[in-house]
Amino acid sequence: MRRPKVIPEMYPTPSCSPIRRGDPLRSVDDMQITTTDLGLVARVTHLSKQFGEGPGAVRALDDISIGIRRGEFTAIMGPSGSGKSTMMHVMAGLDSPTSGEVWIGDTEISRMRDAELTLIRRRRVGFVFQSFNLVPTLDVRGNILLPFELDGRRPTADESVWIEHLTQSLGLTSRITHRPHELSGGQQQRVAIARALATRPDLVFADEPTGSLDSRTGREVLALLATAARDYDQSIAMVTHDPIAASHADRILFLADGRIVDDRGATAAEDISRIMLGMEAAA
Amino acid sequence: MSIRALSSHPRDHVATIVVAALSSAFGVVMLEASGIIATAVGTDEVVSGSTTVRLVLSVVTSVFTLIAVYVGAIVTANTFATIIAGRTRQIALLRLIGAQAGRLRRAVATEGLLVGVMGAIVGLVIGAAIAAAAIASGTSAGWLPSADYVVMEPLILLPVAVVAVTTWASAWVGSRAVTTVTPLAAVGAAVDARLESARRGVARNIAAITLAGAGFALLALGVVIGLSTPIGLLVSFFGGVLSFTGIVLGAHLVMPPVLRLVGRAFGPRPAARLAAENAVRFPERSSRATIGLVIGVTLVTMFAVAMASYRAMILSSIDDPTMARAVDQSLTVTTAIFAGLVGFSAIIAAVGMINNLSLSVLQRTRELGLLRALGFTSRQVRGMILTESAQMTVAAVLLGLVLGVFYGWAAAQSILGSLTHGIIAPALPWPIIAIVVIGGAALSLAASVAPSRRATTVSPVVALTVQ
Ligand SMILES: Nc1ncnc2c1ncn2[C@@H]1O[C@H](COP(=O)(O)OP(=O)(O)O)[C@@H](O)[C@H]1O
Ligand SMILES: [Mg+2]
Repeated sequence: MRRPKVIPEMYPTPSCSPIRRGDPLRSVDDMQITTTDLGLVARVTHLSKQFGEGPGAVRALDDISIGIRRGEFTAIMGPSGSGKSTMMHVMAGLDSPTSGEVWIGDTEISRMRDAELTLIRRRRVGFVFQSFNLVPTLDVRGNILLPFELDGRRPTADESVWIEHLTQSLGLTSRITHRPHELSGGQQQRVAIARALATRPDLVFADEPTGSLDSRTGREVLALLATAARDYDQSIAMVTHDPIAASHADRILFLADGRIVDDRGATAAEDISRIMLGMEAAA
Repeated sequence: MSIRALSSHPRDHVATIVVAALSSAFGVVMLEASGIIATAVGTDEVVSGSTTVRLVLSVVTSVFTLIAVYVGAIVTANTFATIIAGRTRQIALLRLIGAQAGRLRRAVATEGLLVGVMGAIVGLVIGAAIAAAAIASGTSAGWLPSADYVVMEPLILLPVAVVAVTTWASAWVGSRAVTTVTPLAAVGAAVDARLESARRGVARNIAAITLAGAGFALLALGVVIGLSTPIGLLVSFFGGVLSFTGIVLGAHLVMPPVLRLVGRAFGPRPAARLAAENAVRFPERSSRATIGLVIGVTLVTMFAVAMASYRAMILSSIDDPTMARAVDQSLTVTTAIFAGLVGFSAIIAAVGMINNLSLSVLQRTRELGLLRALGFTSRQVRGMILTESAQMTVAAVLLGLVLGVFYGWAAAQSILGSLTHGIIAPALPWPIIAIVVIGGAALSLAASVAPSRRATTVSPVVALTVQ
């Protein structure tokens, strides 16, 4: 197995670390250890991302080191502009970091070229975006099978059974030949979830997946994501600024001004709101 | 007020200006050429009756200019329809805050008039410059007799005005969709539910089918009459115009099956498959992009086939080999000139297709960004655009060739049937067909260069960021 070149000083020093004791990242300080050994599906070390140069530059991510745990539903929370989307884009290989390292499983992707990154996105991560998730020219089946299609292969027998199961449990069976514009917003998001889960990726990234849904449909979508993490052991990282959405997660990372300022387990929506209000007040 | 908000991107109108300039320059050059020829012939004492020459020349000039203007009008109407499709959200927003659909549409048409006038004047300058240069070099090199040639005849303003007005009218026709945009399209709709899929004019379908049916019936009648008298050509001519208008009007019914057939031939790779889906998914869009080229290729092929059939028949009836060679030569030259003149419309159509493909790539930024995010490599994206362009060109050229051979044969049959007393086989002018095919291949490459480059620079992050 390829060993990452982890060196002790790459981990955050306690003074600036928002990560509390007991976190896997902190307990391995001096060991040569891989992402997988840590029980993580993805992690970033000393990740910074800057947009622009000179006085107008924006530091969207500021020296973040964090890991996403395998099989968990992780929410990334924070006020608007705190860097949530940027963090997701960099972790998912959609954008490159200014400095720091990004790992998907045991693969370091931060220095990869576009073609390699494309393959990582195709094979190892899944996406659910806020809107415009589906290719308008393809029907529901075509959209769900798109990742396989892009890979130039058909699903194996095993995968076909899985896709069939997904379509059924997401209630899409009767919609299978419909085009995106014939579906409601909630149905479109369910198709996107089916597509994201279809290849059983290491990690599914969801950016405000309920952002353009009404609250009831939004709750359904969140429940589906939580179920996928629990029942299928699917690791999911969801970006959101909605406390109710975050309350479905097993773990919540709080971002403010491009830094991780808090990291906690499952939390009730009211408490999340309180933390968020505190963060806004501090800002 | 709100109308200003509809102001467009300047590059939206580049193609319309080019098309207007090409049409107007063509008309001006044709007029200048016939003027020059008439003047030159007038100096020749051997050729008398230069009024006849003038008459023939002006008929030829009008016919070919009108063909160019007609193709240009169709291209421009389609360009405007594409622009409107891309501005649906913007229009919906304006409607939402109270803009009247009629006013918005008039604003679009006015844009059309403006760019039409601009293009037509550019064409006038180019056409007059070409004529002046030809006179200068002709008289000094000796292939033109020296005479008082007039470059700035008032008559050359006629094609300029015709082109400007036609562009205006085309913009009006092409912007019909403005009135079908509902304010609701501005809110909700996570997916671009494009108006193409919503709008299937039943009346238009009926008109198209009726026209085509009646036209083909007339065409058949013309061929039958042609067996006894060349007057059959007149009947066939109307049959041809009617049926072809039906095909153009019903392009959204005709093109998708052809595109699907061609798409299948490109194999099962994801880029090819998606390209085929794209071409077929929005029949309005793909037929808009291709119909101009179908018209161009049909016209060129029709002329060439009719001339070739005519030539074959004439040659078979001449026994003297010297005479036959002379006739053959003059007919070949005539065919080449006519095919070239008609071919100019194909160039106008090509401009339209290149533009349509670029616009549609611009309009599909988010879709391309999504594909990139999900794992389409930039090479696959480039391949998809190239394939899309190739599929559309192949489909348009194939359909144009088939239609052209058919119409050319029908024309030849109607005029020559009474002489041969039977059904003649269409003569296929292979050199011209080869030029059409090679031109089509070059076109599909040219049409895909700019859009595919743009498509590969689409950043998935930017494309997917919710505005
Ligand atoms: N492409 C970009 N160019 C310049 N600045 C950007 C870009 N993307 C994001 N930013 C800036 O980076 C910061 C973080 O943005 P983002 O990650 O989108 O925040 P969030 O998703 O938490 O709302 C913001 O200040 C935003 O303006
Ligand atoms: Mg965001």
